[in-house]
Amino acid sequence: MTTLTKTEDTPAPTGPEAFLSVRDLRVRFSTEDGIVNAVDGLSFDVERGKTLGIVGESGSGKSVTNLAVLGLHNPQSSKVEGDIILDGQNLTATSEKQMEKIRGNKAAMIFQDALTALSPYYTVGRQLSEPFRKHTGASRKEAKARAVEMLTKVGIPQANMRFDDYPHQFSGGMRQRVMIAMALMCDPELLIADEPTTALDVTVQAQILDLLKDLQQEFGSAIIFITHDLGVIANMADDLLVMYAGRAVERGSVREVLRAPEHPYTWGLLSSMPRLGGDINEALLPIPGSPPSLLNPPSGCAFHPRCAFTDKVSGSLCSGERPSLGDGRASACHLTPEQKQTIFIDHIKPRLG
Amino acid sequence: MNPIRSRSARAIVIAAAAGSLALTGCSSNDSGKDAKDQSKSKQDAASQSKPVVYGDAGASTGPAAEVPGAKPGGTINIYTQSDLSHMDPGQIYVSDAGQFANLVHRKLTNYQEDDKGNLTVVGDIATDAGKSSNDGKTWTYTLKDGIKDEDGNAITSADVRHTIERQYSKVIFDGPSFVQTWLSGSDYRKALPDGPYKGKHLPDSVLSTPDAKTVVFNFDKPRPDLPQALSMAGYAIVPEKADTKEKYDKAPKSLGPYKIAEHKPGKSLKLVKNTNWDAKTDAVRHQYVDGYDFTTTIDQPSQTKRLIADQGEAKNAMQFTDSVDPAQTSTVIGDAAVNKRTIKGYQPYVWQMSFNLDRLKDKKVRDAITYAIPNQSMIQADGGKYGGELAGGLFAPTLPGFDATYDPFGKLKKPNGDPAKAKALLKEAGVAEGTKLTYAYSNTPRGQKQMVIIKDALAKIGFDVQAKEIDRATFYEQIGKIDNGFDLYMTGWGQDWASQSTVVTPVYDGTLVADGQPNYSHINDPQVNKLIEEALVLEPEAAAKKWEEAHKRIVEEINPAAPVYYSKQLQLFGSNIGGARYSTNSSYIDINRLYLIQP
Amino acid sequence: MLQFLVRRLIGAVVIMFLIGAFTFFLFYTVPQDFAQLSCGKNCSPENIAVIRENLGLDKPITTQFWEFMRGIVAGRDFAVGHCSAPCLGQSFDTGDFVWDSIMDRFPLTLSLTVGSLVIFLVIGLGSGMLAAWKRGTVVDKAVSGASMVLSSFQIYFLGPIVLGIFVYSTGWMDNPKYVPFLESPIDWAVALLIPWAVMATIFTAQYTRMSRSTMIEQLQEEHVRTARAKGMPQRYVFFRYAWRGSLAPIVTILGMDLSGLLAGGVVTEFTFDLAGIGRLAVDSSMSKDLPVTMGVMLFGAFFILLLNIVVDLAYAYIDPRVRLA
Repeated sequence: MTTLTKTEDTPAPTGPEAFLSVRDLRVRFSTEDGIVNAVDGLSFDVERGKTLGIVGESGSGKSVTNLAVLGLHNPQSSKVEGDIILDGQNLTATSEKQMEKIRGNKAAMIFQDALTALSPYYTVGRQLSEPFRKHTGASRKEAKARAVEMLTKVGIPQANMRFDDYPHQFSGGMRQRVMIAMALMCDPELLIADEPTTALDVTVQAQILDLLKDLQQEFGSAIIFITHDLGVIANMADDLLVMYAGRAVERGSVREVLRAPEHPYTWGLLSSMPRLGGDINEALLPIPGSPPSLLNPPSGCAFHPRCAFTDKVSGSLCSGERPSLGDGRASACHLTPEQKQTIFIDHIKPRLG
Repeated sequence: MNPIRSRSARAIVIAAAAGSLALTGCSSNDSGKDAKDQSKSKQDAASQSKPVVYGDAGASTGPAAEVPGAKPGGTINIYTQSDLSHMDPGQIYVSDAGQFANLVHRKLTNYQEDDKGNLTVVGDIATDAGKSSNDGKTWTYTLKDGIKDEDGNAITSADVRHTIERQYSKVIFDGPSFVQTWLSGSDYRKALPDGPYKGKHLPDSVLSTPDAKTVVFNFDKPRPDLPQALSMAGYAIVPEKADTKEKYDKAPKSLGPYKIAEHKPGKSLKLVKNTNWDAKTDAVRHQYVDGYDFTTTIDQPSQTKRLIADQGEAKNAMQFTDSVDPAQTSTVIGDAAVNKRTIKGYQPYVWQMSFNLDRLKDKKVRDAITYAIPNQSMIQADGGKYGGELAGGLFAPTLPGFDATYDPFGKLKKPNGDPAKAKALLKEAGVAEGTKLTYAYSNTPRGQKQMVIIKDALAKIGFDVQAKEIDRATFYEQIGKIDNGFDLYMTGWGQDWASQSTVVTPVYDGTLVADGQPNYSHINDPQVNKLIEEALVLEPEAAAKKWEEAHKRIVEEINPAAPVYYSKQLQLFGSNIGGARYSTNSSYIDINRLYLIQP
Repeated sequence: MLQFLVRRLIGAVVIMFLIGAFTFFLFYTVPQDFAQLSCGKNCSPENIAVIRENLGLDKPITTQFWEFMRGIVAGRDFAVGHCSAPCLGQSFDTGDFVWDSIMDRFPLTLSLTVGSLVIFLVIGLGSGMLAAWKRGTVVDKAVSGASMVLSSFQIYFLGPIVLGIFVYSTGWMDNPKYVPFLESPIDWAVALLIPWAVMATIFTAQYTRMSRSTMIEQLQEEHVRTARAKGMPQRYVFFRYAWRGSLAPIVTILGMDLSGLLAGGVVTEFTFDLAGIGRLAVDSSMSKDLPVTMGVMLFGAFFILLLNIVVDLAYAYIDPRVRLA
């Protein structure tokens, strides 16, 4: 199990069992309009062999967090602060040269849209072999053998024949498999999957998810699985982190969070998701309003402009003070635990069916 | 010579359009300080106006007198803005090719020029200017010894006959036709349709070659101008054996001091010494420099800029027939060191406002317009006082008997016109205010500037001027049509040699009115026609008087064209070029006596 | 591939034919007498008739067109001799064979093109990439600023200034001229240095800007990020992944620029008093010299079409998604 965290303001010492430990991560971009706080004080841990799901709307900082883990931001326009400790090594203090040795090797990433994430100019074989040769010093032939092996493993038929094909010659699902194969070339110990199935149809999606699970069992990798699809998360993750406006708002095991969500935002996410077996005539309830501007985030709880329950909190606490996120199973909300429970049982759960 | 009709002139106009945007304003700051230059032009004009002398054997014997200080060696660079229109002498009728011909080709006769610019027609490959008999109807030429072409073949009377006879064929269509017409009439081509190429020749009664050294021309009328006509480049010798017909235009054989070493059409031309030219046979030409390198792509502003800068190879360079860029005239004149390196003189052209006599039938109206034209402003639009000089009559200062005081319209006193007098004349003629006049002009910068001036001046006296712009390339074609639909247009014409016959005959002879002919006003006055007929058969001195009579009749009693200005020449050469002077004959830099100060 | 080439070449021939036909008939709609135009001074009706016959203008226009087109394929005979294929006819004005005139001018045009091309490609692409690499730094700002200023210059502005400094006032260099490459490669290069530099300056500025912006665009592509996420070294990512993608737009523009340059740089040639295809085009159209104008147009069209095909081939080479045929 994972997720043993104290308050974000005082990072806890890394537990010996955490393979990746992120503490008080802040990612800021300077844009023409001002500073964007894309990630604002985020902490989490991932263990080997486990999967951490991160959910949130677009712009909540999910992807930014994970690009930051691999140091893929442009250093000229962005600033990354805090600690990212991977297997005992603090990545925020690691040189670009060293990072190049980690990327694609110890830690690899699967991107959302393989069509744009794979280079159209080179064959998949070349794109697969390249990192392998670089990280292991293997010969061209060895690299090809490895690539064919991985392509076969992710379910590409006649991988040997397709080695010299270009990405555009593959179907969407196959392309995503290529992407996964590429990430797995060097047996990464940490795999970050950034919405790896969003662009795919449901049957392919299921296949890919199964594939990831199988691979995790085989290699024992830690996986960070980013999505905005709670259905997928239920299937894939051990632990769950809900992000809103660059911050974690709720954390816990997948069971805990999905069965008894505590944060109004999580409620919103769950309510806006269609359910199998639900009444077709029952309307989905989207979260009112739109995600906040990170250039000028709302005061207090960033969710309060969209929250339906601020009146249950005394005074102007919601707009005045930012709620903190406790350790372990926790949510960052000014509602009392009792209120959270009552509201969920009385108002939210019935809707979820 | 009609300057615009020729190809080279067309190119000049084009380049001027591309290069010079500021024609005016260059003379405003040089007025007053060039009294000397002016008088220099006048002096040249004076010598240009003396009737030519026909030289004897003594004057025709080579070598030519040495140019003081001349040294041999080196190569002169020539800047032109377009390639020569022709190199086959039979096709040569315009100035650029004419200058070239002076270096390469030889003729029966040639002009010799003294330090004062006095001209003598001497024998070139002939022993003298020609011997006339039978009341001037028969002319006999004897060839000098030692005349060879560049391949070393001796030139005989057969080559002279061939030269004349090939002009009857279709190979030749761009050159002068005086001699052919005099020999065989205006439909001369019918007399020998294939020229000499199919073995036929003109009968001995017309052109005979009694021996290898003698050529006899027989005319039905006295042809006193023959020695001058034969001095034209168009009648330079084409050796029978060397004649390649149409191809000859690209690779002619030289008889002169220089021959063609390399010609890249439209780009460059290299002349080198012709070792078969013998100085002892030539009373006019020299062979000081080793050769000439022509670059035929340098437009007028660039030529001027390069020569003003006088750096590197430009020190050995000169303009050929182009003149100083009007926009840079003041720079050239203003800098004494540069001004020293100029040639100034008259060009043979008279710019005139031609009236279409078929439309402007009332002389009073023509006179009124003539009075109204602001000649001075028109000159300003063409480079100021180095581009032109106010014209009183229709005879250029380069013609014999030029009278600078001749000024029937009082232009010298009122260089910017006399609108009051013009208005009075129009009133007399009963011309209503707002009467329309169609003025055709060429779309050159000069044409456009002058259009504004004319429109303005004529509006002042009550005309509504409809200005019609015509493409520069087709201007003379369009106004050359008899039924051209225009009332008035600026034209320029220049002599072919120093005789009024080559001006009055083509431009004012009423019997020659036709489409494409230079009688742009369509004047057809019996009295003028008769005077022309009489003058043509007279010896130069006597003829000059008749021509003057015709001139006065034309200007004062008919007024087919308002005199506007005489064009002038301003050329620049590099600091290392010696022997440069204005040539009365060519009205350009004298090409036959140049050398390099430091070869 | 072969099929593509054959198809495109046939298409090119058809287009050339149409351009030829269009120019030809367009020219003949201009109401003027070409014989008059090419007549020098002595324009008697007899002389004009001779010229008309010499130029073949006495024949029906369709016959003239047919003879012209046939000459391109099979050659023609003129009074001055045989004009071998591809015969583009004979100049009305000078009597030279048009093909010879073009071939005579082409070495200069080619020299100007090749010389400046080498300079502006190397410096332009190089400095653009440098600026993209150093994006946001002083180097980037200096390069971008300089290219912005220089790209607003024009040859007719910069040319005379450079001439004024290096030729007219100091005399350090001679006026540019064409020395055949085979005659003396060194003289060839020295004599054309000024026009090269001036042309290259302006083109360099454009290519710097283009190369910088396409590189920056490419560096933001997701697949470039993927390459970094794989642990590929920055340099490798920059020169392999990003650069490859930036080539396509550059090749497109380069194709257009090259066909323009090969068809003759009119402004350059007039600025430096050089005689290339551009001057030939201007001179001939000014003097209504139909055969030369047509020849030059066809010649230019040939390069445009040729370079179109080359660009398409290059595209296919750069981007495997582009399919030929």
